[in-house]
Amino acid sequence: MEFANTPSFFRHGPSPAARLTVCVLLSLSLLVADSRFGLMERAREAMSVVLYPLQRAANLPVSAVRHLSDFFVAQATLKEENDALKNHALAQKAEIDRLRAAQADLAELRKTHALSASLGGGGQIAEVLYTGRDPFSHKIIVDKGEDAGLSRGQPVTDDGGLVGQVTRVQPLSAEVTLVTDKHQMVPVMLERTGVRAILYGYGGGVELRYLPMGADIRPGDRLLTSGIDGVYPSGLPVARVERVDRTSSNAFVRAITRPLGGLDHGRFVLVLPVRSVPPPPPPAVPAPQTKAGK
Amino acid sequence: MSLDHPQELLKPVSLRFVWLTLAIALLLELVPLPVGRARFMPDFVGLLVLYWAINQPRLVGVGTAFTAGLIADIATAGLFGQHALAYSATCYLAQYRQRQLVMLGLGQQSLVVLGLMLCNQAIMVLARMATGAAFVGFAYFLPPIIGALLWPLLTKLMLLPYRRG
Repeated sequence: MEFANTPSFFRHGPSPAARLTVCVLLSLSLLVADSRFGLMERAREAMSVVLYPLQRAANLPVSAVRHLSDFFVAQATLKEENDALKNHALAQKAEIDRLRAAQADLAELRKTHALSASLGGGGQIAEVLYTGRDPFSHKIIVDKGEDAGLSRGQPVTDDGGLVGQVTRVQPLSAEVTLVTDKHQMVPVMLERTGVRAILYGYGGGVELRYLPMGADIRPGDRLLTSGIDGVYPSGLPVARVERVDRTSSNAFVRAITRPLGGLDHGRFVLVLPVRSVPPPPPPAVPAPQTKAGK
Repeated sequence: MSLDHPQELLKPVSLRFVWLTLAIALLLELVPLPVGRARFMPDFVGLLVLYWAINQPRLVGVGTAFTAGLIADIATAGLFGQHALAYSATCYLAQYRQRQLVMLGLGQQSLVVLGLMLCNQAIMVLARMATGAAFVGFAYFLPPIIGALLWPLLTKLMLLPYRRG
């Protein structure tokens, strides 16, 4: 295909039609090669290095415009966004607080459950509903009662130590008298020496009374239940000795102790079964005698 | 050499300038655009190849179109050879009637360019479909229309550096 009025004395090389044929054949073979053998992948790998500066240059105005528009954000937009973010943060804070409380509950439940397992699995986990309203009586109300088979006299403990004793059972709840209550006494022994004593509640705390002047007791000693009363299982931690008063005006040593159980904190307690049945009544020997007497 | 200003004598165009304009066109195609808008971008490289093929047939021929097409293939991550095939074919078509095309006014040239660009797209669609791709929809034929509308502007722009002051 020759162009019209092309002077023949110029050298043109191959005619446009020939060039077109060559180019078309070339590109067709490239197309086939690419679709069959993935030629493009390798070519791009090699050419991407060359093209990279070009791409960066093409990106330059766009990123510059973006920076600029970032810089000139309207005050109102910022304010709005800030408010929204603050609200969001507040909502999330509340959520986190809730989560934290739930986590603490879970940890406490786990500990209580572990304690129940270590005591032979006989206990029942109960949740503290509320504390007694009367400030003079040290009692808490738990969410299990007759429905769960609770009965008076059962010891109540938590992961720290002895809490108290079930003293009244209602259909759906039970009243637990804390060891600090004035009428509550716990037979204990000193962990270090094995000396037995009785721990008295006095309203605000617990104390050891009637220990002889020479008793071996020091601050830091731990008091465990001795288990000789048949109510409390032996070996439950009850209190720790805080201070020992040996004044000559008193006939006995006075030891101020601090209860170890969570009396005023914690949400879950473990109600233990009464350890043993009361000692059997004396044998009924007199019965035939009375009969005989009549 | 546009006959828009027949009496005007222009400076000779260097091959280096041709390649510079092609590089700028390639740069324009690489500008990152939002996904929806990128498909309305006319094929600047194809447009420029046609421009040079019509206005400087001595400098730009089928071979140059083929090379530019290869580079466009690599830059746009298309199929290897699709742009090359399309550009060399339309370049040949344009140069077959180059003497007549140069005589036409800008409006008529635009119409011819529209046809050539549509031809470009058709060849590329055929090449893709022949290698197993699905048809991409008729929106693919929108860029040639925009490109044809831009043709007079492009012509004026390209003449600017070659006016004698």
